[in-house]
Amino acid sequence: MASTVSTEQWSSNQPLPTSRGWHIRQFMIYGLLILGGLIVIIPFIWMISTSLKSQDQLFTNTIDLIPNPAMPQNYVDLWARLGTIAPGMTFLRIVGNTLFMTLLAMFGEIFSASLVAYGFSRFNWRGRDTVFAIMLATVMIPSIITRIPGFLIWKQLGLLNTYDPLTWPSLFAWGPIYVFLMRQFFLTIPREIEEAAIIDGASVVQVYWHIMLPLIRPIMLAIAVLSFQGNWNNFQGPLLYLTTPQMFPLALAVQFFQNSVSKTAPLWQYMMAMSVMMSVPVLVIYFLAQKQFLDGINIGGVKG
Amino acid sequence: MDPGALQTYLPTIVRYALVAIGLGVIMFVAYRLQIRFGARREAAAGRTLVLPWVIGFLVFTVFPVGASLYLSFTEYNLVRAPTWVGLDNYADLFSLNVSPLQSVDQRSADVIPPGFKEVQRVNIGNGGMVFSAKEADFWRAMRLTLPYAFLSVPVGMFAALGVAMLLNQKVKFLGFWRVLYYMPAILPAVASALLWRWIFSPDSGLLNTILAPLYRLFGWETPRWFTDPNLALPAFIILSLWGAFGANSVVLLAGLKGIPKELYEAAEIDGAGEWAKFRNVTIPMLSPALFYNLVISVIAALQVFEVAAFIPTSATIGTFVNWQIYLEAFSLRNMGLASAEGWILLVVILMLTGLVFRSSSAWVFYQGAREEAA
Repeated sequence: MASTVSTEQWSSNQPLPTSRGWHIRQFMIYGLLILGGLIVIIPFIWMISTSLKSQDQLFTNTIDLIPNPAMPQNYVDLWARLGTIAPGMTFLRIVGNTLFMTLLAMFGEIFSASLVAYGFSRFNWRGRDTVFAIMLATVMIPSIITRIPGFLIWKQLGLLNTYDPLTWPSLFAWGPIYVFLMRQFFLTIPREIEEAAIIDGASVVQVYWHIMLPLIRPIMLAIAVLSFQGNWNNFQGPLLYLTTPQMFPLALAVQFFQNSVSKTAPLWQYMMAMSVMMSVPVLVIYFLAQKQFLDGINIGGVKG
Repeated sequence: MDPGALQTYLPTIVRYALVAIGLGVIMFVAYRLQIRFGARREAAAGRTLVLPWVIGFLVFTVFPVGASLYLSFTEYNLVRAPTWVGLDNYADLFSLNVSPLQSVDQRSADVIPPGFKEVQRVNIGNGGMVFSAKEADFWRAMRLTLPYAFLSVPVGMFAALGVAMLLNQKVKFLGFWRVLYYMPAILPAVASALLWRWIFSPDSGLLNTILAPLYRLFGWETPRWFTDPNLALPAFIILSLWGAFGANSVVLLAGLKGIPKELYEAAEIDGAGEWAKFRNVTIPMLSPALFYNLVISVIAALQVFEVAAFIPTSATIGTFVNWQIYLEAFSLRNMGLASAEGWILLVVILMLTGLVFRSSSAWVFYQGAREEAA
């Protein structure tokens, strides 16, 4: 890169690291960043703190970030409560439902998006760019518009109140954004890599499996995080298709709980405990894969 | 594991596997047929690979969208077969009325025609007017959703751009800041809606506890955010900003990092100051990323769902359009009317994104396109 020298020149125009201007500038930058960080983090702390409070600790005139005494048993009590409203709504069952739905849909989304993106990026065929544009345009269709007839179709098929509408349609690459991100990534891979293999007589499946799949692992991980988050957090789909409380995922269980408590005195400690439980897995996965994830989603923003 | 759980999982797993195998067979046959009819290997493979999406598009998008257009011309309550009513649903939805008020004291109910309900009352001087509609719930939802989108999206973009510029100042621990600022976007919408309902709670909510001394100083009542007609919109906007500005700034930061340093040097040689560099280098170079963000944010803002589902407002404020359509369809079982409302929402989204696209030629700068022209 020829720009190493010129970068120095460019930054030399800014105040020197010892001058007063530099210190004020640094102070302001970090001050603003910390302020923004506090705005981001305080609601999180408030959520966790509330989930550990007793009912009396909620309604005070002071801001107590650290509950005294802490009530971790809220996390157990709330499931006991849910169990009395709808027997069988146990912690394991609800988390199991959520995981089951999420993993099936996630596998379908990643697998199909990678195939479709491969077809859109590495092969020349007539009408390819038009079809791709149509796919991107579907982003504009509000989901509710397809939900109403969709509901009627699943009803006809007798598959309402099953996990079907929420799982196997993912095999048909229902997320255009994932295909888009994946395609952008495919475009960055030099063509020579697969050409050598094709000359050696490798089939499309072989090239995809042995050459492409290892190369696209970073973007697959990023999409796995997005997809896990999207399905784990999915509320609209389960709300429409599932009616048996024992089959609910966490998002619906939260709503079920909210509807069962009085509007005027919601049991905030339990509601926040449920929110924490719902958030922890997505946050953990996000933290574990943050590098690949943040780099992966950026591929869309940069290239437009 | 719970045997009851297995009973609900197994059939789905079986059908999942069958669909996957079926799809594989279809793809294989489609590929063979194309080769048989003399297609090039490359073209045949490409078309076959996108086949899953094409099938899904036809079955899960084209057909339902068409069906909902048909339903929007019918009356359908899931019990009896749909009956064709022509444009009645749309006529009802567009039955809008503006009635003038003689004086401020006049009651809205006195001027609204029968069958209409108040959407918005505007007092001007000693008179004013009352907007009313037959389907007042839908227009109340529009009245909340459109200003929400128009305000939250640009404010969010400016906030995101500001944070992105800060993060681009060679700050230490950049990785940490990125992870931190993106966090709210990872949080489940259900959890963040509940959390903010609690923070804005009139009794002992975090915000009102902080504001209480200030309000006491002026002798005011502490605000009842989501149920106060004047404060509901700002409260919803604050909620959306918290969820989105950090995530958008991380995406914009990547755009900023992609701007070649040479452009700034060239600008400096020409004597450009900080503002001129921002105006003439940063904004044009970042415009594709801003554009992408703008389109996605507008579409998302018009479809707020979880927030509406978890945060009750008062009847005069109404709710968000997407939730309103859901209620119309699945609580009131007016599938026809709900479909018509869905189509109005679709048209609004198309118009707004169309507007963004039209304006893009004026402000979005595509480097590649410019170079080709040169």
